[in-house]
Amino acid sequence: MSTTAWITTLQFAGVNALFALSVYASLWTGVLSLAPIFFGAVGAFTFGYLSAALGLPPFLGLVLGVVIGAGLGVLTAGIVIRLSSHYLAMATIAMVLIGRVLIINLPDYTGGAAGTLVPGELGTWLWLIGCLAIAGFVLSRLAGSRFGFAADAVREDPAVAQTLGISTRHIQLVGFILSGAFAGAAGVMQASFLQYIGPDTFYTHLGFVTLAAVVLGGAFHWAGPIVGALVFTILPELLRDVMGDYDRVVTGVLLVAIIIYMPRGLVDLRRFRLFRHRSRGEAPPGASASRDSANQEVVS
Amino acid sequence: MGLLAQQLFNGLAVGSVYALFAIGFALILARMGILNVAHGTFATWGALSSFWLVVQGGLNFWVAAVLGVVFAGLLGVLAEVFAFGPLRKRNAGSFAPIIASIGIWIVLLNVAEAFIGPTTKSFPIDVVPSTPMEIGGIVMLPAHILIVATLIFVVTAVHLLLSRSRFGAAVRAVSVDSRSAAIVGVNPRWTLLVVAFMAAGIAGIAGLLSGLADNNVSFGLGEALLLKGFAAVVVGGYGDIRGAAAVGVTIGVLEVLSSQYISSDFRDAITFGILLLVLVTRPQGLFRERQLVRA
Repeated sequence: MSTTAWITTLQFAGVNALFALSVYASLWTGVLSLAPIFFGAVGAFTFGYLSAALGLPPFLGLVLGVVIGAGLGVLTAGIVIRLSSHYLAMATIAMVLIGRVLIINLPDYTGGAAGTLVPGELGTWLWLIGCLAIAGFVLSRLAGSRFGFAADAVREDPAVAQTLGISTRHIQLVGFILSGAFAGAAGVMQASFLQYIGPDTFYTHLGFVTLAAVVLGGAFHWAGPIVGALVFTILPELLRDVMGDYDRVVTGVLLVAIIIYMPRGLVDLRRFRLFRHRSRGEAPPGASASRDSANQEVVS
Repeated sequence: MGLLAQQLFNGLAVGSVYALFAIGFALILARMGILNVAHGTFATWGALSSFWLVVQGGLNFWVAAVLGVVFAGLLGVLAEVFAFGPLRKRNAGSFAPIIASIGIWIVLLNVAEAFIGPTTKSFPIDVVPSTPMEIGGIVMLPAHILIVATLIFVVTAVHLLLSRSRFGAAVRAVSVDSRSAAIVGVNPRWTLLVVAFMAAGIAGIAGLLSGLADNNVSFGLGEALLLKGFAAVVVGGYGDIRGAAAVGVTIGVLEVLSSQYISSDFRDAITFGILLLVLVTRPQGLFRERQLVRA
């Protein structure tokens, strides 16, 4: 790969990492959500419209993206948080589908099916690494806080968390706000790097790939999604020389293998600390995130 | 009036493809507990493999169609053997199969694109029946009649199989509790393999018919079906395949009517708007099934 190709690939890996952190923020509280893709789309198109219409400085655009994302996070949480896990995931997928319909049907603001051009001033390493560093810092500080422990508890077993006096709704609301803020920033960064956004920029494809990156990297530590996004973006590029058109097959196979044999992902602190022997005889740890829904079974 | 009747029939044909796809999707969701993102690629491969057999292999269309559907079914079996089965054995919870299905989706979509190329292909006109017929003032393509007939057959067959046969009882038992089912003499492994084959095979039929309906075969064929089928399953509820099928047909009719009388940009808005509304207000679907929830 040439140097320019490397730089482009790494930049997209960085933006994907920001999206992955956003998915991680709600997964941390036991919510599987693709809503970040919708938040990112709204952030990006607002950024595009305002910078074209009002000549908004890029930095304000980024701040606005974060604020809008967080606000949408609150709204979304208010609507969907009471659903049980499978239905919640489906509702967020529905949001992504509706997002594309909105983009196509609001051509005055979004450019419709043709998409729109956006200024690329934020598309630099400094902004990207800055955003990632802030997101990573916030998550790492939260991990050791009361919120972090409460989020772990809610994810492992909501019923137990409630008996410990933790409000699961409240924790999941915070997860959605964090998720929205990161996704808003990621949307603006994605738009700046691409300098063009259309109805398919933020769609199911990005959603599935982001979710896959989170699980690949490890959904139990904030560094996991970043590692996952890097591996997931760079690996197909490296393999393109060897595999030609079949470059993504390896990532797919890898994903299935990881979820079966390393359910906690590549970054798994518990494994690093050799704590593994303690969990003998228990269900694999990746299982616990949604024990409640696993117990819901359907009888006709 | 003639236009309305014509568009109703067109909508019925479009919706029947969604309904067929939704049946397979609902089977996997209800009986195996998997939200299968890769289901659209099963449909794609059903269409692609038949297309390849007709064009490259020179086979008769009907033979190629049967082989293509069997191939799609085998892909479902492979997914069960290599991904979903091992996860179930490890008791990996309900998110893990979604992730595994994303992996399968990546593989099958990528191979499909490499296999057929990025452009859209068409069946040669002379191998597929294509002379339009006029019945009661409505022009019907043979493909459309075939689609509606297939839907009626598949819904009836699958419903009777699940509700009236010993095998159906075994499937229901396994989906409630596979260990208890094993105790009373059901082989859960085989049962789920057959369900996986059926579901993926039906997806293959849907993909093939979708390619036949507008004579377009492309690697992304199944993705559109996935979204509409997903909407049909969520709105209709996935416990009873008749609900999902009815909503699938309704979505098709609404789509065609709204692009005729409102605007073609608007048709997805209606479908997905209803989807979100139903999810938020009535998450078990319009035709909900009695649920037993263990604490």
